[in-house]
Amino acid sequence: MSDGLVKILDGSTFVVSDSRGDIEASPTDTTGLFAADTRFLSTWVLTINGERMNALSVDDLQYFETRFFLVPGTGTVYIDAKLSLIRRRAVGRGFHEELTILNHQNEPVELAVRLEAASDFADLFEVKDALAKKGRYSTAVEDGRLVLSYERATYRRSTAISATEQALIDENGLGFEITVPGHGSWSTGVDVAIERLLPGQAARSTESFENAQRRMRRDLDRWLDAAPQLQSDSEALKATYRRSLVDLAALRFSPPIAGGHSLPAAGLPWFMAMFGRDSILTSLQALPFAPELAATTLRALGDWQGVGLDDFRDEDPGRILHEMRYGELTAFEERPHSPYYGSADATPLYVVLLDEYERWTGDRAIVRELEQEARAALDWIDEYADLQGNGYVSYRRRNEDTGLENQCWKDSWDSISFRDGRLPGFPRATCELQGYAYDAKLRGARLARICWKDEELAARLEREAADLKRRFNRDFWVEDGQYFALALDPHGAQVDALTSNNGHLLWSGIVDKSKAKAVARHLLGPRLFSGWGVRTLAEGEGRYNPIGYHVGTVWPFDNSFIAWGLRRYGFKVEAATVAAGILEAAEFFDGRLPEAFGGYERGETRYPVQYPTACSPQAWSTGTPLLLLRTMLGLEPEGEHLIVDPALPSTIGHLELLDIPGRWGRIDAFGRGRVDVDRRRSRRR
Amino acid sequence: MSSGPFSAFIDELARRGYDPMLANAVGTARLEVTDGGPRERWLVSIDKGAITVSRKNTKARTTVRADRKTFDKAATGRLNMMAAALRGEIVIAGDPRFLVQLQRLFPRPSDAP
Repeated sequence: MSDGLVKILDGSTFVVSDSRGDIEASPTDTTGLFAADTRFLSTWVLTINGERMNALSVDDLQYFETRFFLVPGTGTVYIDAKLSLIRRRAVGRGFHEELTILNHQNEPVELAVRLEAASDFADLFEVKDALAKKGRYSTAVEDGRLVLSYERATYRRSTAISATEQALIDENGLGFEITVPGHGSWSTGVDVAIERLLPGQAARSTESFENAQRRMRRDLDRWLDAAPQLQSDSEALKATYRRSLVDLAALRFSPPIAGGHSLPAAGLPWFMAMFGRDSILTSLQALPFAPELAATTLRALGDWQGVGLDDFRDEDPGRILHEMRYGELTAFEERPHSPYYGSADATPLYVVLLDEYERWTGDRAIVRELEQEARAALDWIDEYADLQGNGYVSYRRRNEDTGLENQCWKDSWDSISFRDGRLPGFPRATCELQGYAYDAKLRGARLARICWKDEELAARLEREAADLKRRFNRDFWVEDGQYFALALDPHGAQVDALTSNNGHLLWSGIVDKSKAKAVARHLLGPRLFSGWGVRTLAEGEGRYNPIGYHVGTVWPFDNSFIAWGLRRYGFKVEAATVAAGILEAAEFFDGRLPEAFGGYERGETRYPVQYPTACSPQAWSTGTPLLLLRTMLGLEPEGEHLIVDPALPSTIGHLELLDIPGRWGRIDAFGRGRVDVDRRRSRRR
Repeated sequence: MSSGPFSAFIDELARRGYDPMLANAVGTARLEVTDGGPRERWLVSIDKGAITVSRKNTKARTTVRADRKTFDKAATGRLNMMAAALRGEIVIAGDPRFLVQLQRLFPRPSDAP
């Protein structure tokens, strides 16, 4: 792994350790055993005769198991190993370790093996913001287990550690006094079990660890088998595709208290949680490959759809949640994530996903099942999101303390700015929200007509969409720049910075045909396009910074939707150019695209510079190669058929995507790279 | 029989009959008041939006236990059930997923008196 940390996970449980398998968490870092947004183990250090281990190699068997090969001593120059260790770890409800010590000498050896253990029971938010705890810690040795606990009023979480071999257990860990025969070995199993994870959840899993591992291995094989097979002249593309499928499998998340099936979580390590926007966009990206993710996302988000007004949680009737958390701060309502609803795009995107899912799968039963939810989402757009009564979706948090200021995907504090760098007041009506609302209305109209048999609703939605498009193209168009403004401020003035949001507008279809060419020219122009991809904010704008989170970096997921938008308006060459840049960048990250990378000019750095604290793997970055494949192959459902209209970069050569699932059964798509992206790139200057 | 916000809420729930927001929900929950003499139990059944309330002492998919003060808060939109469950102020037994459906029946802060 690029950061030297080893991460393994299952559902919402994950372990992050160093390359020796040790955990020594400081209050602000993310090593540890985490579940439901809580750190259940913050110290886990192995020593032999008082010596720390030295890592020889790490074998990432699967995303849920790892093997560390170790020798005692921390020498870095020369290691004369008379002993070696294999530390095999697998995640389940907590984790399990198999520790094997090999003696390479003729003589038996006496060893003191020790595992130090402690837990700070930190909420992930505390780790992120370095907050202090309010409860009480305790440790106990009982029934041959070390039990670490934390209590605050009725809130209680604990971790129980036990071993299969005879151990000396004290309040700081487990010790083993052993003799390993000459050329012999010794081993023990160690269990770190999470207890009282959530109310109602069984304290201890009844499934054996071996069974759990077999189940997870089978599950991953099934997942890979069910996905379309990719053949290509490009070895890099094949590797990226496989990496994406495996990472997407890892990021599948069965939310506690929210349904049995799995949906994409947002990303490791901060965002192993249910996010409205991230889960929806990732499900959209993955539709041609794993359509079942969309079904689960729609149902789980539907279950949690807002029903009333709650200012602390920014909840409205019909609103789709932004983020759900399970940690201590959420439990004590010091954070609003139970769940928090402060997102202005998840609700229209919910309708977009429902329609796109039906177009691919033909599953009308789910459209009927979720009719109330979809209608409530459509009503939210007009009744609760039009904060100014001007016919545009805008946002302003009601929770002034811990709510989100920016409720669009660019959610950092300075992401929405004028050309000169000034920040607008609230409410803010960002442009892509209008695009999503437009698309949701048209797609809602289609569903109303074919599934709900409500012609009146369909006609009304179409009227409203047409009116929105007309007004939008008048009010957001920056005449002297020939692009769409990032937002309207509370006075209706254009927030006139040039941004990647223009690409999302193409995707939504809200852009007048007559304006599309100018928009495409900007997206591929020198101010936005870095050579790797489209920057979030154009070079030359007041707040532009090539390593600013939403003000200059290149976001792979953003680019996948931009490419889709370019295709929608017929800009095949431009779409292939964006796709080629992002897929080439992926090669520098072993096929695993980060959340964001620097917006530096491609010729300047020669390789994409990873944004410092980016999450990895992150769901919508993982979904990016999938959506780019769809875009390059020009896959589009049309009635009961799948249209294939490839426009591939010449760098890819031959490409086959076999067994694409959908309402047509399974279909193969073929393409050959004919778009000379190098020529397109050089024309840019 | 007790009076107070929770009792009034139970009465209102029994009169509500149908809630379109629960059109996909099927399940039963037992609400148990843990203090104040003999245990007060309510069985709330949801069948595709149709709500019935009874005192039947049968097995439920999910059981929610809390003291009367807590149920009174929930009945007046002053308790978020998810947060309360996470901090152990209400105790969930059985299938915790049904809590998602159940919490939709309760009022929100804007409905608080």
